[in-house]
Amino acid sequence: MERLRISDWRAWCAHDDHDMIPSRREILLPIGSTLPRLLKRRLDAAGRATCDILHALVPHDGCPLIHASRHGDVAHTLSMLESLAQDIPLSPARFSMSVHNAVLGVYSIAHDHRQPLQALGACGHEFDALLTEAEGYLDAGHDNVVIVFSEGELPDTYHGYTPHPGQACAVGLRLSRRVGDGPHLAATHPETPAEPTPLEVIRWLSGSTPWLDGLQRFTQVAP
Amino acid sequence: MHDPSSQLTLDLKRMIIEALELEDVTPDDIDNQAPLFGEGLGLDSIDALELGLELQKRYGIKLDAEAEDTRQHFASLDALRALVEARRDR
Repeated sequence: MERLRISDWRAWCAHDDHDMIPSRREILLPIGSTLPRLLKRRLDAAGRATCDILHALVPHDGCPLIHASRHGDVAHTLSMLESLAQDIPLSPARFSMSVHNAVLGVYSIAHDHRQPLQALGACGHEFDALLTEAEGYLDAGHDNVVIVFSEGELPDTYHGYTPHPGQACAVGLRLSRRVGDGPHLAATHPETPAEPTPLEVIRWLSGSTPWLDGLQRFTQVAP
Repeated sequence: MHDPSSQLTLDLKRMIIEALELEDVTPDDIDNQAPLFGEGLGLDSIDALELGLELQKRYGIKLDAEAEDTRQHFASLDALRALVEARRDR
């Protein structure tokens, strides 16, 4: 079986203070510019960036899309919980978007995307899970899969209670098994399994770190 | 803007923009006679629910989602203003 290859990638951070993302891997600003305005308003910044990344990576004939986020649109989730605690009726728009596949749903409406969509949360193992699911689609005969891993801003209430990259960020990869499509992924056992956030994935993809530790240790091997 | 009817029109436009998070839309952009849904402003069914909730919170108006005339109340800003003038309790 051919190995998993990274044919392209894009990334976004709310505060890219150290120019971590190479310019050719950035999305166009302002974020959300690939969405109709009536759909854009329903998403937070990370959701909008996710849609822009998908727009840049999805081939013209489409492919399966997988979106992972450990916490999802946690700021809006918290505001709904606070409304419930105060007996304030929930916003129907917010409630309709409070599902983990909401971002892919908005993308599919905006771009009339009719191929498989999948949303994941994996308690810190999102990147490993994304690759496992992507391999499944490629093994089933799809030529490409686009995966996106994002986190939104963490409200102050949650600070100190859960791992978080410290800012809103998103990273997407187009994967295939075609020889010559880009570096392939090698996976070995890490010394200590880790829970990488999108920021660690971006640092690894841009070459700032030699490997990425998740449940496996991932290395990019040049074609 | 001392005419209470035009003040209510402006209040309703601001309510729509705020409640529906219509970024980049100003009250002047909303035509009083144009359809709010589909064509015109381009709102969708979730927006209709959101507007129903706002009317309840701000003006004490409860609408029946199944009633035939609910659709007419949401036809345009002028129709919405007529509804609020007729049925507001605050």
